[in-house]
Amino acid sequence: MSSRIPIVPESTEPLPGLGENTGLLSWVASIDHKQIGIMYLIGTLIYFVIGGLEALMIRTQLAKPGSELLSPEMYNQLFTMHGTTMIFFVVMPFLIGVGVYLVPLMIGARDMAFPRLNALSFWLFAFGGVLLYYSFFTQSGAPDVGWFAYAPLSEKPFSLNNGPTYWALGLLVSGIGSLISGLNNVVTILTMRTPGMTMRRLPLFVWMMLVTSFLLVFVIPIITSAFVMLLLDRLLGATFFTPAFGGSAILWQHFFWGFGHPEVYILVLPAFGIVSEVIPVFSRKPIYGYEFVAGSTVAIGLLSLGVWAHHMFAVGLGNVANAYFSLASMLIAIPTGIKVLNWVSTMWGGRINFAVPMLFATAFIIEFVVGGLSGVAIASVPIDWVVTDSYFIVAHFHYTIFGGSLFAIFAGVYYWFPKFTGRMMSETLGKWHFWLTVVGFNMTFFIQHFLGVMGMPRRTYTYHDMPYWGSMNLISTIGAFIIALSVLVFIWNIIVSLRKGEPAGDNPWKAWTLEWATTSPPPVYNFKLVPPVRGRRPLWDLAHPDSPDEPDAKIVTEGPNG
Amino acid sequence: MANNRMMIKFFIASESIFFLMLILAYVNFHNSVTTGPTAKSSLDPYVTGIFSLFLLASSFTVWLAGKSLKNRNRSGLKLWLFATIVLGAVFIFGQAREWFGLFGRGITISSNVFGSTFFTLTGFHGFHVCVGLVMLSVLLGLTLAGDFKGPKSDAVECVSLYWHFVDGVWIVVFSVIYLWAFL
Amino acid sequence: MNISEFLTKAWSPEPGVIALAVLFLAVFIAAGGLRDRGRTALFGAGVALMVLAVVSPLGHLGRNYLLSAHMIQHILLLLVVPLFILFGMPKGAAERALSWRPAGAVMRALGNPVVAWTLGVGSMWLWHVPSIHGAAIASDRLYAAQQVSFVLVGIIFWWPVFAPVKARRLTHLRSTLYLASACLGCTILGILLTFAGAGMYAAYLNPQDAAGILPYLRNDLCITPGVDQQIAGLTMWVPGCLIYLTASMITLAQWYGSPEADVEAAAQGGGILSGRGKTV
Repeated sequence: MSSRIPIVPESTEPLPGLGENTGLLSWVASIDHKQIGIMYLIGTLIYFVIGGLEALMIRTQLAKPGSELLSPEMYNQLFTMHGTTMIFFVVMPFLIGVGVYLVPLMIGARDMAFPRLNALSFWLFAFGGVLLYYSFFTQSGAPDVGWFAYAPLSEKPFSLNNGPTYWALGLLVSGIGSLISGLNNVVTILTMRTPGMTMRRLPLFVWMMLVTSFLLVFVIPIITSAFVMLLLDRLLGATFFTPAFGGSAILWQHFFWGFGHPEVYILVLPAFGIVSEVIPVFSRKPIYGYEFVAGSTVAIGLLSLGVWAHHMFAVGLGNVANAYFSLASMLIAIPTGIKVLNWVSTMWGGRINFAVPMLFATAFIIEFVVGGLSGVAIASVPIDWVVTDSYFIVAHFHYTIFGGSLFAIFAGVYYWFPKFTGRMMSETLGKWHFWLTVVGFNMTFFIQHFLGVMGMPRRTYTYHDMPYWGSMNLISTIGAFIIALSVLVFIWNIIVSLRKGEPAGDNPWKAWTLEWATTSPPPVYNFKLVPPVRGRRPLWDLAHPDSPDEPDAKIVTEGPNG
Repeated sequence: MANNRMMIKFFIASESIFFLMLILAYVNFHNSVTTGPTAKSSLDPYVTGIFSLFLLASSFTVWLAGKSLKNRNRSGLKLWLFATIVLGAVFIFGQAREWFGLFGRGITISSNVFGSTFFTLTGFHGFHVCVGLVMLSVLLGLTLAGDFKGPKSDAVECVSLYWHFVDGVWIVVFSVIYLWAFL
Repeated sequence: MNISEFLTKAWSPEPGVIALAVLFLAVFIAAGGLRDRGRTALFGAGVALMVLAVVSPLGHLGRNYLLSAHMIQHILLLLVVPLFILFGMPKGAAERALSWRPAGAVMRALGNPVVAWTLGVGSMWLWHVPSIHGAAIASDRLYAAQQVSFVLVGIIFWWPVFAPVKARRLTHLRSTLYLASACLGCTILGILLTFAGAGMYAAYLNPQDAAGILPYLRNDLCITPGVDQQIAGLTMWVPGCLIYLTASMITLAQWYGSPEADVEAAAQGGGILSGRGKTV
């Protein structure tokens, strides 16, 4: 093969990475999975702050009845951009990014299977977001049709401005980035594992990333096709989703939710993975029922593909369709419940150390169960008809995405920050952050359940002075500002810890997965020598040669990745 | 490397879903055209059928190209890659001819739902054929420059997998658009 | 005719399925299957369910009145009955039969996952092409062929996953993939039926009400042709898919339960899907 004309140079030399060159170019041109992962995290933090500011403006507007602070047009743009940003540019890329950083380390690989595609995914994500936010500076303003952009509202006759076009284009671009990232993860996890790291010994986080990546591979094309059709409608006058010209607005809903519901699990499965890593380490016990946690993930992934129409109960699909979708949706509670049981059983009887990551993981279980229970409630059609498009729904999905995914994300940041940077985060500031978040979050969103049942509709820029509405909204707004304060503490904690945090050492939490077997931060080449893997907790086996997890396992040391 | 072939397989799986959605959109609107052109009133299944044969034949030639690579037959590889490109280009020519014929009769993507779904579906398929042609041309260029001595090459295998996929999609698209309307 | 009369009288002795049942039982007894009580019960239940699904009023409803009744029958024959029959097959006899070369070769060809998948999902799609289904319920012979082929194709479809001889089965993870992708195939058909709008199957729009139960179905149960088709599509989709999904969860559980054979495969750098044969 030596005389072969290389299309792409083989990566025989070390890839450019941390430490080689600290200039900006070493980041922009990097194809090192750790640098790309960190860029993902920084990118999502920036979008998180922007999305948070939008939320604050929304809550300020709603603090009192009849408020005139924001115009209705501005309000529509803000809630659209808030939802779109938080889902597509914060939670999803954070989880992808943390996966990009950790998956190769956890499976003992040198890098992702396709480092250049990895960089491409990141830049598509970053520029997709820029494209979306550029719309604020155009004459037409930002998209203002909600994060699911129902047709025909998002179509030309009803939205003459270019907002929805920017929305579809930005998400199309970043979606292709996510798709590529999903493909890359699947191939990496299936082919790049170190000898001995069998599929049944994969860390649970990697399992969840695998299922998530499969979901990305199979559902992103659904929304990509829908974006393409919407763009053709808007730019070339096609008539897919315009009922006036023979199209079908329902078709958009089917396509959007056909993607949108699995997307919910894309947002939460890696979060499950983070929690499944954190809880055992801080309970000093191996995870209870590894097989069930991993298997139920596969079940969730498969079930999630067939339940989208529960977002459309109020559309008029007919009682039969509603009944079947209601049934199928409730089934998802089973594998999810199995997971909760496993986490709790892992903590049961363990020596629990409530450091900040564990605090967030514990709170995650509680908040997510609240969101899950309200989810089972609205999977029942009559309840959904009463509360759909009210603040009850807003409360529900904030409990799953904020109380679920974001709490797990915070747990993950505190847990892996020492690995990413070599320094510990401050525990004191972390505890402040945690308690402010818990108080602020529940204050903001719990009360919205009641507001929803009392009939307050979502997505309206103001409301009449109905009994209690004003005071309840004010409580919610105060909660939102407490969350804002907690985020300030969090960012301050990051800055302080980066500069003066205690040195972490290789394995500050005494964890058992492979990423802790290398230095913090890991060198460009990840591992000098990947420890032998002969069980699910390689570092435990290494530290306790007398009582390994799998005493009969043989050690495999040689192989292409060794 | 097994990586590349696995990647292209998952990529094809993902692309299949994309085409599946476009096809579902076509199927969804198949019976709902009330005014304006329909598949039956505007398409010519015979001419398109003949051009389709060129695309199907190209799947065969790309397979022969792979076989030549395996036998380290450089001239065979060049010949069959070239033949594949020509056959694919003839198909694209046929599609362009069909499109311009329709434009000439005032049938465009904005005519009605048939126009929207038809041009989107065949357009994306044609786009994939064009991408395939570019990749095949790159392969041919590299072969002429002395690459691909065989017996194995991920690049050739992946491109030919992709090409078979594009072919397979056309069989489904042709059945759904043309056969369904005229049988 | 009121409904209880209908239930007692609308039994239709379909010769095709009864012949198939007799054949199955004869082969079962000849193969000495009666010695194993558990398997006899399973096999017997499978055959009984098969006969019931076709002969009972469900068959009559499905052929003359309701697409949804046909769909329940279809799910039973294609997905449920074959499972009972496969699990009820006497293992030793199956091994002996397969070691007879022609039989082994036939089952190897039919049990090839690509062939079996195509047959299983393909028969589902083919028999539900409106014109073909219309012809099937109009003609006795074609109707018998439809029912019998559901059962036989169903056995072929499940063969790669639950064949009585372990060596003939796919590896566990491949089974999971096999079943999940089949689920996708049946989901798409289910979606099409559910959302296509009433009237895809002309025969069910205005059935000839020979048994006199149509007013009951239409007025008391409120099953209009549109609702009927929705139930049919959703039956194929949700319960149908749940059978595939449950089975794929079982294969996954079996994989977890099986010994760690993939250490070696990982050492070769081969993944579960890299097609090296000797995996998991």
